[in-house]
Amino acid sequence: MPSVTCESLGVRFQFDREQRPVTPVLARLRRGVTESWGLRGISVTIGPGEAVALIGPSGAGKSTLLRAIAGVLPPDDGTVVTSGRIGALLATDAGLTGVLTGRENATLIAALAGLPRRRMEALLSSVASASGLGPSFDRPVMSYSEGMRARVGFAVVIEAAPDVLLLDEVHEALDHEYREVVERAASAIVARGGIVIAAGHDHPLLERIAERGILLECGTLVADGPFTDVQARYLAT
Amino acid sequence: MHSIADRDRHRVDVNGRLDVLLALTASDLRARYGRGRLRFAKWLLDPFAALGVYLVLVAAVLDRPGRATALSIACAVVPFQLVIMAVTSSMNAVRLRRAIVLNMRFDRELLPLSTVLTETVAFIAALGLLGAVMAGSRVTPTVHVLWLLVFVPLTVLLAFGMSVPATLFGVWYRDLTVFAVSFVRTLFFVAPGLVALDGVPEPAATLLKANPLSGLFEGYRDALLYGRAPDPWQILVPLAFSVAFLGLFVPVYRGEEAHLAKVVE
Repeated sequence: MPSVTCESLGVRFQFDREQRPVTPVLARLRRGVTESWGLRGISVTIGPGEAVALIGPSGAGKSTLLRAIAGVLPPDDGTVVTSGRIGALLATDAGLTGVLTGRENATLIAALAGLPRRRMEALLSSVASASGLGPSFDRPVMSYSEGMRARVGFAVVIEAAPDVLLLDEVHEALDHEYREVVERAASAIVARGGIVIAAGHDHPLLERIAERGILLECGTLVADGPFTDVQARYLAT
Repeated sequence: MHSIADRDRHRVDVNGRLDVLLALTASDLRARYGRGRLRFAKWLLDPFAALGVYLVLVAAVLDRPGRATALSIACAVVPFQLVIMAVTSSMNAVRLRRAIVLNMRFDRELLPLSTVLTETVAFIAALGLLGAVMAGSRVTPTVHVLWLLVFVPLTVLLAFGMSVPATLFGVWYRDLTVFAVSFVRTLFFVAPGLVALDGVPEPAATLLKANPLSGLFEGYRDALLYGRAPDPWQILVPLAFSVAFLGLFVPVYRGEEAHLAKVVE
């Protein structure tokens, strides 16, 4: 059964004197290192069949929380425990490398997501069809618009059949037609007992996807409950 | 602590790791060398260009032609190309992979290895240069050519050993990567690269043996030019450096790889 549990989760960023981010080893070697917590004391449990919207102002920690859940960022405090295959679209470039074609990116992402080579051919033809890009699928991604990138990224993620779907504003780059595809895919994942966690500023879209909302501010969890209540609290501040 | 239910299972899945490694290498090859037949030309052109420049330098400018000068220099240039390309690419490896580093969890320990594999493909293609120069120099191959079965993997191992600290250096000191490449290039000139070791006077010749590239260069010359078995130091010194680099820096890289997404944005 898919699940996501964060216990007192904290993610710390360290910076050198010129405010460039540094890794832990380099932080020990350099003087004048400062730190800032992107997340602190986040405790939240998300169970099967739940769709959750993360809302809050820019810099609130929405992307950091999604990345911690995806395993992209390690916790510096507390724990994150997830079960189920995770599919994530966490960057505006949708995880695509510009010099590679849509097909080559799809191959790479599918391999990194753990799909065996024998399933790759079938997956590629599904992704080519689902992304609706036609001949552009075999062109370098650097020639794509943001929406086209999101289409390819989303198609790969969905074709890999995730149990937990994480979306960070990427869906907001999509056109009206493809947003409906995203909504239907998210509903299907929830209907089969999966989890969807989406962050962004497009509240009408988030409301259609998620019944539950979580409000983050300055890296801390401020409210957790029905989306409309949490949204009202956010707008009131 | 980050506990993900299927993480450990994923790590021990050798087939899965191999798939990831191959996918990273294939995409790296396309990103670095493009597509189509022209990439083979580029693989061959790099060492040929370096060989041409050094050949003019040694034979015309320095006026120190020796025995089969072109082959002697090629025996240094070809393995050195792998080492310097592996170091240069490793320093950019995380930035090149920025999109996937920020978007998904995968085995990032494979990044330096995939970089070296990418450059090894180009290196294997460039090995043909040695055969061509041998024929051009009218040097007859002997049974000692088989020593390449030791020195080619040893070159790849040294490149891998250097690629791990190079990847970390590229993350830690991205402003200094040009300096680091210059440093590695200097290693070529404090090794018997342009002039074979038997043409270097003592005590410099003894000192040069401490450079891990010296053993490699002389090993290729023994196998292809002199037709004799190498001295043990020619294998042991590069091997010791490779093991030391991996022993020192793989644990550091393992500690840092989880935090790469914090510094590539």
